Amino acid sequence: MTDHRPLDQDAVLARFARAVEDGHGVLTDLDQHSGDGDYGDNLRAGVRLAVALAGRGPQRGFGALGEVFLDEVGGTSGPLLGLLFSEIARALSYGSADTAAFAAGARAGLTAIQRVGEAEVGDRTMVDALAPAVTALDRSGYAAAAAAALDGAERTAELAARHGRASYVGERAKGAPDPGAVGVALLFAAVAAVAEPGAEVADPLAGRA
Amino acid sequence: MPFPFHPAGDDPVPAAVRGFARAHADLVALHEDPIHLLARHRAPGRRVGLVSGGGSGHEPLHAGFLGRGMLDAVAPGPVFTSPHNKAVLYASRAAAGPDGVIHIVKNYTGDRINFGIAAERLRMEGVDVARVLVDDDLATDGLDTATGRRGTGATVVVEKILGAAADSGAGLAELATLGADVAAASRSLAVASRAQTSMRTGEPAFALDGRLDYGVGIHGERARRSVDRPPTEELVDRMLDEVVAGLPDGPDQVVMVVNGMGGTALLELYVLAELAAAGLEARGLERVGLLVGTFVPALDMAGFSLTLTRMRPEWTGLWAAPAQTAAFPRTETS
Repeated sequence: MTDHRPLDQDAVLARFARAVEDGHGVLTDLDQHSGDGDYGDNLRAGVRLAVALAGRGPQRGFGALGEVFLDEVGGTSGPLLGLLFSEIARALSYGSADTAAFAAGARAGLTAIQRVGEAEVGDRTMVDALAPAVTALDRSGYAAAAAAALDGAERTAELAARHGRASYVGERAKGAPDPGAVGVALLFAAVAAVAEPGAEVADPLAGRA
Repeated sequence: MPFPFHPAGDDPVPAAVRGFARAHADLVALHEDPIHLLARHRAPGRRVGLVSGGGSGHEPLHAGFLGRGMLDAVAPGPVFTSPHNKAVLYASRAAAGPDGVIHIVKNYTGDRINFGIAAERLRMEGVDVARVLVDDDLATDGLDTATGRRGTGATVVVEKILGAAADSGAGLAELATLGADVAAASRSLAVASRAQTSMRTGEPAFALDGRLDYGVGIHGERARRSVDRPPTEELVDRMLDEVVAGLPDGPDQVVMVVNGMGGTALLELYVLAELAAAGLEARGLERVGLLVGTFVPALDMAGFSLTLTRMRPEWTGLWAAPAQTAAFPRTETS
């Protein structure tokens, strides 16, 4: 946790956007399994707008993601992700764009998402990937956080939902991971790939095509 | 065409909001993209902006209660759907006083989340926010869910009392506590004899075949049970029994709201009010306010709700204070 290189936010955005494009079909399938099927569409629309916004003006990667997901993405999971992006952008903007700042932003984002959405770990939501990622980030850095996020996302396959649209299908959602949690795993994999290029980072989409 | 007089296309809300703003141009100003409405006048001593909103189809809630003595800003959503957090954010930014904003939120998941996200954004911008959650519907009390009682008719009571308190210069924490106390002292129950017209099909959203749905919600959610229709006197008696039993302990003074669900004649509502007023008296409760009309409907559902708020002595003056809005009657019997 002594890395003081600035995180290349635009590279993270580009990489995350590519992962979301690649994962659109998988995310849609997962959401059809447990929700209303629009998660892949919403996530893809959001990253496309963010890439366009970041290309147009002074807004950096996470700032663009935050603005777009809060303002333009419908439903509830999109704007909740927007809180995470905004808190990360805010933490990075304080100047010390290192791992500790990113970790503080991610933790603030997790706290905001839980305050608003009232989900705990184990409820089969994005929190199941985000909470362990934030913990790992504090201790061991980006690659460990990506692994923890993916691990948390995988574990949602055995959970019944208590919140969100998936709570309406109950036990029937089991067997496949929560798409919101997989989306968070994609984000942390993108961050790790940019920030720790040498590290081994598993692809959250692998084996799900 | 789901409703006979809808505009071309399927979303009546933007045109309706423009029409409302035109009709009440002395009281409210309309802002578009995202749609929100602001009161033109507020008491000079008001330190906290009062913001509410929610799905459309419950008119005159909430825009009808914009104005001096009640709300400062409103974010209307699509029919029976929460407004986007961006609309709540813009409404709140515009309404914020030096002591911040209060969000008056009916207890529905979509409203909770969208107002919650807007509140987080406001805090990031340095605006203080507190939430008053209205959860008065007895029909959803004690269900096996974590969602709790729905927010329905008591919203009008909360908005009225908080508005008067805000006019007197109350601060954010004081208003949040007052709002929570008023909501906690309120219970409602609603029945329907005919479902609202479905926006999608143009038919009644569900069939009742001469029975009565006992415990409906304001989005046309069906009750858990349908009952054979009792004589109206018995129905009112039974509803009063349940609402009174649901109230927390306290003084024997109440405000009562007899609210039409959209398809009930005012003539009938006054009959119901008369029966309910007599029922209150028989139960030893003193009425310090009575509101009769259509305030929180579910589109054109035929039915009514009864709301009681057990009043503390210091609230009665706030209830009686004047409100300059499109829909709150300036005088009420007591």
